[in-house]
Amino acid sequence: MPTASMNSTRGGRGDALVAALLFCASGLCVLSVAAILAFLAWFCLPLLSWRELSAVLTWRWEPFGGHFGILPMVVGSLALALSALLLAWPLGLGLTLFIHGLGPRVLARPLLFVVRLMTGVPTVVYGLVAAIGLVPLVRGALSGSGFCWLTTALMLALLALPTIVLVLDGQLALVAPRLRLTAAALGLTRAQELLRLALPMSGRGLRTAATLGFARALGDTLLPLMLSGNAAQPPHSLLDSLRALTAHIALVVATDSQSAAYGSLFACGLLLFGVSFLVNLGLRRLSRGADVSALAWLPPGRLAERLAVAFSWFAALIVPAALALLLGFLLLRGGGTLGLTLFFGDTPPLDAMLRGAPVFDGLWPACLGSLWLVGLSACLAVPLGVAGGIHLSEAATGRAGRLAVFCVDLLAGVPSILMGLFGFALILLLRRGFWPGANTCLLLSALCLAMLVLPYVVGATRASLQALPEELRLTCAALGLPRWRAVFRVLLPSAGRGVLGGVVLAIGRAAEDTAVIMLTGVVAGAGNPGGLTDKFEALPFSIYYLAAEYQSPEELNQAFGAALVLLCLTALLSGAVRRLRQGLTRRWESGGARA
Amino acid sequence: MKSTRVFATMLSLALLLSLWGLPAKADGLAIFAGKSGKIDIAGGTAHIPVMQEAAKRIMRAHPAIRITIAGGGSGVGVQKVGEGLVAIGNTGRALTAAEVAKYGLKSYPFAIDGVAVVLHPNNPVSALTHQQVQEIFAGRITNWKQLGGRDAAIHPYTRDEASGTREVFWEILLKKGPLARGANVVASNGAMKTAIAGDPSGIGYVSIGHIDRTVKAPSLDGVHPSQENAETGKYPVIRKLYMNTKGDAKGVVADFIRYIQGPEGAAITASHGFIPTTR
Repeated sequence: MPTASMNSTRGGRGDALVAALLFCASGLCVLSVAAILAFLAWFCLPLLSWRELSAVLTWRWEPFGGHFGILPMVVGSLALALSALLLAWPLGLGLTLFIHGLGPRVLARPLLFVVRLMTGVPTVVYGLVAAIGLVPLVRGALSGSGFCWLTTALMLALLALPTIVLVLDGQLALVAPRLRLTAAALGLTRAQELLRLALPMSGRGLRTAATLGFARALGDTLLPLMLSGNAAQPPHSLLDSLRALTAHIALVVATDSQSAAYGSLFACGLLLFGVSFLVNLGLRRLSRGADVSALAWLPPGRLAERLAVAFSWFAALIVPAALALLLGFLLLRGGGTLGLTLFFGDTPPLDAMLRGAPVFDGLWPACLGSLWLVGLSACLAVPLGVAGGIHLSEAATGRAGRLAVFCVDLLAGVPSILMGLFGFALILLLRRGFWPGANTCLLLSALCLAMLVLPYVVGATRASLQALPEELRLTCAALGLPRWRAVFRVLLPSAGRGVLGGVVLAIGRAAEDTAVIMLTGVVAGAGNPGGLTDKFEALPFSIYYLAAEYQSPEELNQAFGAALVLLCLTALLSGAVRRLRQGLTRRWESGGARA
Repeated sequence: MKSTRVFATMLSLALLLSLWGLPAKADGLAIFAGKSGKIDIAGGTAHIPVMQEAAKRIMRAHPAIRITIAGGGSGVGVQKVGEGLVAIGNTGRALTAAEVAKYGLKSYPFAIDGVAVVLHPNNPVSALTHQQVQEIFAGRITNWKQLGGRDAAIHPYTRDEASGTREVFWEILLKKGPLARGANVVASNGAMKTAIAGDPSGIGYVSIGHIDRTVKAPSLDGVHPSQENAETGKYPVIRKLYMNTKGDAKGVVADFIRYIQGPEGAAITASHGFIPTTR
């Protein structure tokens, strides 16, 4: 670690203290990655003997018969992620090309808005709509029960699509302007310029988009859990039921903790961790790789160009249509339920809000639970994340710095179910060790959620600090400001909006995540949250629970109402992120730094 | 947080619009008077409606008592109560000797319940033999036509391995025979009922207490699967529903168990379609 006081003239000891604190923050980020990995590895140790390992790497999952094979789930996960990518990547590419000039210019902005809107849709909302709307459709139109590979892959594609489009959009925005003159000189049309020049030069973006889309689809828990039917078998057709690794962990986690079944879960976890590790390494190599790509190869001739344009129109129509259908369905089913009864059931609202009267048959406890959860995890993640981000941007150099950055990126890619598994295993370990009273609870959920959203805050802080113009730093140095004073008085306030954007993003993520809390303390019925060590209700889990368990049409409507509430919440948050970021860019582009 | 403020404003606006009276207190709840504490419950999903109703009544009358209810299945109930993560772990089957020995669990039965095959209400099939059920779940009978129904593929649904309902069904009805690996897996009795109610070609199995008009229970070997037939022993696929604690139940947990096993708990149990055990 570089010494912080080296180039400061005053306040040397204070600076050293600040530097040490910041170092600790980014150290904690590294530690949490290490802790997750260590946990997974530690619990996998019993599997390391050849006999155990050969039992886990088989095709049969029948715990009663002593078969703990996880290969069907490995195949299930890969099948789902690859097929979702196969759907989402071309569609995403078509959509991006449409936005960048294959389609009318007027439609570009609204389309990009739709894609941004999609990033804010909670997974559990997709799950609910698909379980109630899409599953019967697939069952009716094709065959099988509807809970199958196809349904899940369709929804996963929708989930991964915005990631893909946003990456490609960024890449094309970077490449296209540089090629404009060349294209004009060659007398190319807009379509030719995009397809023949810009696209082949965007190999890096194309590969990055595919990698990120794959990781997004592979890491999701809720959609496979709600839609894939969860049969522990490798699928033979698109209409077969299958089980993903993530869903498998969620289904089996609460099993006898000394059994081989429990041990095999950590093997699943380690596999998932391994994949996100590889994805991260891949992204790193990509960022250094060549731009020209065979991925964007298009046969010569006008026909191919026309087909490409037609496909991009198709993509530009079908994606917003899918989203409109989804939102329409949600509004139709949930719109009528919005009212006091949805929140309070048959309890007087005043009593519930002011005197804490218990509410049954209403969303109030879940709303309160979510609020507590998000608040707590923000309290944990934001200070740590900002400090870590500052350290990584301002002080971390050399190998240690690179390692820390890598760990933060890795943490960002770890599937959320692994955070849940980590929390659950941690509690069991603590209970056997020095804290017998430890239990799954609100605090544990918040802690695991904080780990999940920490990389968003770190990343946003680091990126916005590094995006500041160099003159600002030089000015500070010229004025003789000690290093950390410059950071806290000048640089951080100037980067404030970007940091805030990261914070809001983290809050949105914490509000919608279901996989983490499922394993760490959320329950179906608890009443208002009682304390940090109590179990609690939360909105996304209520939606998940009601989607599978509704006992009456009213309960199902309640699920739709809850989904609408959650959707509004996350849409508001992601809107806020966007406003903040726009503000930041405008400020620096216009050179209006007054900080 | 902007959205929170909007949300709060929305709620406080809504708050002005309505006022209802307090619910009346029930009598059997007297044992909880002046007491406080929390009771975490997890496990068996057949139990959930009864637990929820009891929790609702108790928490209404005595807000100082907090009761949380989670599902997961009997296996989860055993694990969680055994590890001390919850106070009461519910099971829809008797504990095994190994489980009792390992965790020192104590069982408190409160209801008799059958496990029945369920179909979609529009399914014309209304009688099955246990051999037919075995063949269906083994994946040997795959079309409803083979059973006198429509020409449609059978969609079997099963439960995860933590389920006590699955264990009872598998041991008594399937005689530990094969269970089709391609069957959809659902996580609770409630979810099973919901899934079958939505799938015209589905077949699954649930606690008889959960059967309502959204699903249909065909007769098994000529016997209608009702709780009455389960009680007399005419219907063979039965089990008891248990609450389990680690060691003897103490404090409010003991009160809760007493309440469930007492007359008011028995009334709740009966109203949810189970036969209360009389001690």
